[in-house]
Amino acid sequence: MSGNNVVRIQDVKKIYRMGKMEVAALNGVSVDISRGEFVSIMGPSGCGKSTLMHILGCLDRPTEGKIFLDEVDVGGLDDNQLADIRNKKVGFVFQTFNLLPKLNAIENIELPLIYAGISLEERRRRALELLELVGLKDRANHRPSELSGGQSQRIAIARALINNPSIILADEPTGNLDSKSGAEIIHLFKELNEKGITLIMVTHDQDIGRNSKRIVRLKDGLIIEDEKVK
Amino acid sequence: MNLLEPSKLALKSLFSNKLRSFLTTLGVIIGVSSVITLVSMGEGAKSYILNQVSGWGVGANSLTIHPGKSDSTMPELTLTYGDTIALRNKVDSIVYLVPEFIGKGQLKYGKKEYKPSFTMGVSSDYPLAINQKVAEGRFFSRADEAGRKRMAVIGKTVSRKLFGEASPVGERIKINRTGFFVTGVLEEKGAMMTFDMDDMVLIPATLAPLVLGTSKIWEIFLTLESEKDVPLAMKQVENTLLARHKKKDFHIHTQEGIIDIYNNILNALTGIVSAIAAISLLVGGIGIMNIMLVSVTERTREIGIRKAIGAKRNDIFLQFVIESVMITMSGALIGVVIGTGAAWGIMTYLKLQAVIAYGAAALACFGALLVGVFFGVYPAMRAARLDPVEALRFET
Repeated sequence: MSGNNVVRIQDVKKIYRMGKMEVAALNGVSVDISRGEFVSIMGPSGCGKSTLMHILGCLDRPTEGKIFLDEVDVGGLDDNQLADIRNKKVGFVFQTFNLLPKLNAIENIELPLIYAGISLEERRRRALELLELVGLKDRANHRPSELSGGQSQRIAIARALINNPSIILADEPTGNLDSKSGAEIIHLFKELNEKGITLIMVTHDQDIGRNSKRIVRLKDGLIIEDEKVK
Repeated sequence: MNLLEPSKLALKSLFSNKLRSFLTTLGVIIGVSSVITLVSMGEGAKSYILNQVSGWGVGANSLTIHPGKSDSTMPELTLTYGDTIALRNKVDSIVYLVPEFIGKGQLKYGKKEYKPSFTMGVSSDYPLAINQKVAEGRFFSRADEAGRKRMAVIGKTVSRKLFGEASPVGERIKINRTGFFVTGVLEEKGAMMTFDMDDMVLIPATLAPLVLGTSKIWEIFLTLESEKDVPLAMKQVENTLLARHKKKDFHIHTQEGIIDIYNNILNALTGIVSAIAAISLLVGGIGIMNIMLVSVTERTREIGIRKAIGAKRNDIFLQFVIESVMITMSGALIGVVIGTGAAWGIMTYLKLQAVIAYGAAALACFGALLVGVFFGVYPAMRAARLDPVEALRFET
């Protein structure tokens, strides 16, 4: 057990009941992820990668098994405590960006800080910093509908980063982008990773996955391969 | 989390959907403004009636006797002129006594004919008892009354109808084909509760049976020496009339009692109005709940996003409850403004004084607050309980 593990999951199972049928989305998955890693979780659709992602992000609970985030067992936490973990330790980046359409870029970025109870001034300050980091300082007051896909995803990444989370979870982050914007996002991820940010990315795209440092392949709810990228 | 942030969120979402917010608010606006308008008008009417009742010159030292057991039934007219004579003899503190025989009078002067609203047989005490001045000529005296002199005192409206601007005093008119001399004109009193009190002809009570064809009295009005005499006088009136009628087929009002009756009627009306308003608030509340439920469904994804980035159940719950309360409270405030304005406008138009019902306004706002909380809680709970994974998957 190394204290450097940001994520440690042990024998995690997730079983859905569909009427009388039981479907195992995850069938006993164990994986350790250390600080500073850039991991791709890959596999065909229905392999359980999104479920794993939700469980890693404390959006969902496993049916069995243990999950440690920063060596804290999140299995025993209630809904409010999980919300707190999502707020402070996890940053989500979604395929469809999931920005709130009625808020402008800077308001979207600072949204997690509202739930962290941070003052408006501090929120603005940090959001502006991140806006600069993702290179969209001039788009602060634009609504998502006025931003391109690549810009929206950058805003979403800034939002994910704002509370200095332990991990960034990205679910098909380039899935809705053209290849140029996709490449820019991957480039941004690499930069962030070089700054020491731990990234976990779900993707089914081999080319995208090859940009990470480690690929975990899932099939039918099991890890079938876990390798370093050369 | 304090209330400031969810309030800002709620405001933002209400403003981004202006038309819907307004339409949702409308139920509350209508409910609250109608309560305030109607209650304010009721209060205004109440104070107007109080003024009128004291304006009759009817003091606390007066009594009125009506036929029938109570006000609630249309009475058989049981009081007679004989009763008034007996009362004069038996009730010690009487200063003035006025019986009122009310009949129909067809007036004729030359070829002109006119039918006034009121043709009454009264006693010579009438002008003193109700503080009615005679503008021109004179009222009939007690001797005239006893002598059944055919004297008529007319109101300004009647005078204008029959004589134009000329003085009617000394003219001969016919009332129901009986000849009378006009001896006086009453000073103008104006309208009272839509009755034109100047559209009136008064003749001696002793002539009422002959001319008006009625020997039954609608009302006997007594003025006593002082307010202190009221209890004893009531007892004496009761005993005298019981002795004559052998049963209680009359009832006695004091001035206070009359005001009470009007107040009771107005309070009942106010109560009905308030009940209607409460129902409209309730209906408005159901509308709000409906819209909030739609809104929660529409914003399922938003709720998912908020939860994913760390919103707790309570945060989501508060956001939606506050939204609902804001809808009702803004509706209530707009309603107060509109209701107050409408009450003021209507009362001014009716030339009455508006009494703004602050109590009703406060109550209506409080009711709106309760409605907002009550009908907001369920949708907000639904929103707060959404599963984040499913909410994020939701497609609009």
